[in-house]
Amino acid sequence: MQCVRATRGAIRSASALITSPARAAGVSVQQQRHESTGPGLDGYKSPFATAGSRRTTSIPDFSKYKSSSGSDNNKVFGYFMAGTLGALSAAGAKATVQDFLSNMSASADVLAMAKVEVDLAAIPEGKNVIIKWRGKPIFIRHRTAAEIDEANQVNVASLRDPQTDAERVKKPEWLVMLGICTHLGCVPIGEAGDYGGWFCPCHGSHYDISGRIRRGPAPLNLEIPEYDFPEEDKLVIG
Amino acid sequence: MSIAKGIYNTLFRRNFVFVGTVFTAAFAFEMAFDSYTDKLWDNLNKGRQWKDIRHKYVEDEE
Repeated sequence: MQCVRATRGAIRSASALITSPARAAGVSVQQQRHESTGPGLDGYKSPFATAGSRRTTSIPDFSKYKSSSGSDNNKVFGYFMAGTLGALSAAGAKATVQDFLSNMSASADVLAMAKVEVDLAAIPEGKNVIIKWRGKPIFIRHRTAAEIDEANQVNVASLRDPQTDAERVKKPEWLVMLGICTHLGCVPIGEAGDYGGWFCPCHGSHYDISGRIRRGPAPLNLEIPEYDFPEEDKLVIG
Repeated sequence: MSIAKGIYNTLFRRNFVFVGTVFTAAFAFEMAFDSYTDKLWDNLNKGRQWKDIRHKYVEDEE
């Protein structure tokens, strides 16, 4: 130990004058010091000690732990486990998100209330029917041929909310619309007003036989709800 | 050995194939798991659910 310390001191003092060869010598001195602690007591063998060679490390023997069947099986097993975990987490995450979303969506009783079925055979031609749908009035009018003609003859470009009659009905003889004035939400009166359609008593909006705004403060035509004719003489709103 | 190599080369070598396989497997697993647990539940509650006793109370018009 003292010898090493002396050598270091010598190198330190000499390093100003002598450069790399001397340093290399110093390193080799230290290596020799490690190598000199070779096989010690109790059979302990330093992994840094390889007798007689210049190698400073000896790689331990891993052959005992090495797979005998090559790397493929292990690789496939590892990726399989990772993939399985990924698949399970993906399924779990999807189920969690789906539970939250279905919790937020409308329940079955609400959905059952959201549709209304109307028997159209009970509505004679030229008559209005008002039904309640989701708490709002729905106007259903069985229009006569003359009324359909009248609705089609209007110059669409002159309208405040330009819509042809064909855009507003699925079957020309059945006009289905939300009975709420687009101005401030009153319920218009049927078969009234200057245009033979609906008239809102609150602020005097006139709607024609296609439910389009013609005069008064309302900005838009009467709204059309979603509806369908699943079979002849049957109307489903919603 | 060669089977493992084949699996590795077809499924795991390219990442997009790996991820696609994982999601497909998740989808299939979910369907299988759901139907299995539903069946299990129906089995454990046999005779107690509305669909089991409906015929006693509802006379179908059809």
